[in-house]
Amino acid sequence: MFDNYKNKFIPFIVPIILIFFWYLITNGMGLFSSYILPGPIDVVNSAWTVIENGKLLTNTIDTLFKVFAGLILASVIAIPAGILLGWYKTLEDLCTFVISVLRPIPPVAWIPFSILWFGIGTLPAVFIIFMGCVFPILVYTIDGVKRTDKVLVESAQTLGANDWNVLKRVVLPSAVPYVVSGLKVGIGIALMCTISAEMIGSSSGLGYMILTATNLFDTGTTVVGMLVIGLIGLAFDFVFTKAQDRIFW
Amino acid sequence: MSIEIKNINKTFESKKTEKLSVLEDINLHIDDGELICLLGPSGCGKTTLLRLIAGLDHPTSGEIVANGEVVKKPSGDRAVIFQQYSLFPWLTVLQNVTFGLEMTKQGSKEENIAAAERYLTSVGLIDFKDSYPHELSGGMKQRVAIIRSLLNHSPILLMDEPFSALDMQNRHKLQEQLIGVWKRFENTIVFVTHDVDEAVYLADKIVIMDKNPGKIAKIVDVGIERPRKRESAEFIELQESIVENLDMGE
Repeated sequence: MFDNYKNKFIPFIVPIILIFFWYLITNGMGLFSSYILPGPIDVVNSAWTVIENGKLLTNTIDTLFKVFAGLILASVIAIPAGILLGWYKTLEDLCTFVISVLRPIPPVAWIPFSILWFGIGTLPAVFIIFMGCVFPILVYTIDGVKRTDKVLVESAQTLGANDWNVLKRVVLPSAVPYVVSGLKVGIGIALMCTISAEMIGSSSGLGYMILTATNLFDTGTTVVGMLVIGLIGLAFDFVFTKAQDRIFW
Repeated sequence: MSIEIKNINKTFESKKTEKLSVLEDINLHIDDGELICLLGPSGCGKTTLLRLIAGLDHPTSGEIVANGEVVKKPSGDRAVIFQQYSLFPWLTVLQNVTFGLEMTKQGSKEENIAAAERYLTSVGLIDFKDSYPHELSGGMKQRVAIIRSLLNHSPILLMDEPFSALDMQNRHKLQEQLIGVWKRFENTIVFVTHDVDEAVYLADKIVIMDKNPGKIAKIVDVGIERPRKRESAEFIELQESIVENLDMGE
């Protein structure tokens, strides 16, 4: 019982120490001007302001909307494509070079074209997110399909399954854990891309909020934005890890 | 369903080595309802022969005829029970067992579930019908795999050392159960093993194979009445004479 109590407390020790030192060198001793390094109290004040005027909520919803739109768009294309490429070796051989060249290009490198093609607003950000997560999801799905246990495929065949049923009833379920891993990686990348895209080609969202706040010397709000991004990432990670735990095979 | 194996040759080719002849001139007739054991050292091609009968691999030359039709691809008529556990991990025991019926569109859902429950009861696994494969022991998994094939009314069961991963007690129990279901359903069974005791216990006929290249060395009619007793004189005698003849060459 004591162990249990201790274990729950342990993850909070380092954050508390960090916040204490942060407070000490900023608000406490005033070593830095609050513009260069805002202290915890400045951040809490800023947080209260953006919560009260609703800016935090609208910008967070805006960012999440972009993340989901990009992720769903990428999944709709990458998962079926991954299944096809994993299933038909020739198709994979045809596409593998293109994928290998496009994949290492950082998503933010698409920002110039995203602005040229889609202007300023939600669409360019969604496009960047799409470019960021389409490849991890694709590659994980291909891998998942290819790793299907041969014995399971052959068992299904000798139980009378045709090719379509083998794909639907054996290959797809056995690829699910890999697809979930792909989505988990994809969503992490998507979040990073969103913020970068919003700082350049957008007029809303957490990235935009961070940038405008900094331009107005309101770096407390900058920190609030950064922390919210971190918390969103944590929440996603938690959800996907839970999903992975439920998949036991 | 009878099986006719005619002049089968199988060679594997790889870039590095020259052609490797795995099976050479295999001719074998298996009667409807017969229980045949393919016995031989590892590398004698017994698993390859089983895969050819299943239609999972193709012979280099020759042909296999099952029930009057040349085997070209896998079919629900020829179920394979693999050495590795082959249950679908994302399905429950009951869903695994009815999988083949769904694939071959036999019976209504209710009928299938009722039949599956009856079969599971007969091997004492009914309490596990809603369990997932990872919750079962090795012996239970193989019993479910056998039920899955039986329920599908596969007239031919092809078994590739299905009990080799089990401890002796479980192995003997499953061998006994296999004889039980075989008598009831009158399937044709081809059973691959490297265990002489297992072959003598199960088979009507033991097909002894040699390796390099794999070919049939000898066919032994077992002719001991069932239920067979491992401690009986004729059992031990036959076992010893096979061991003497067999070049396990490990």
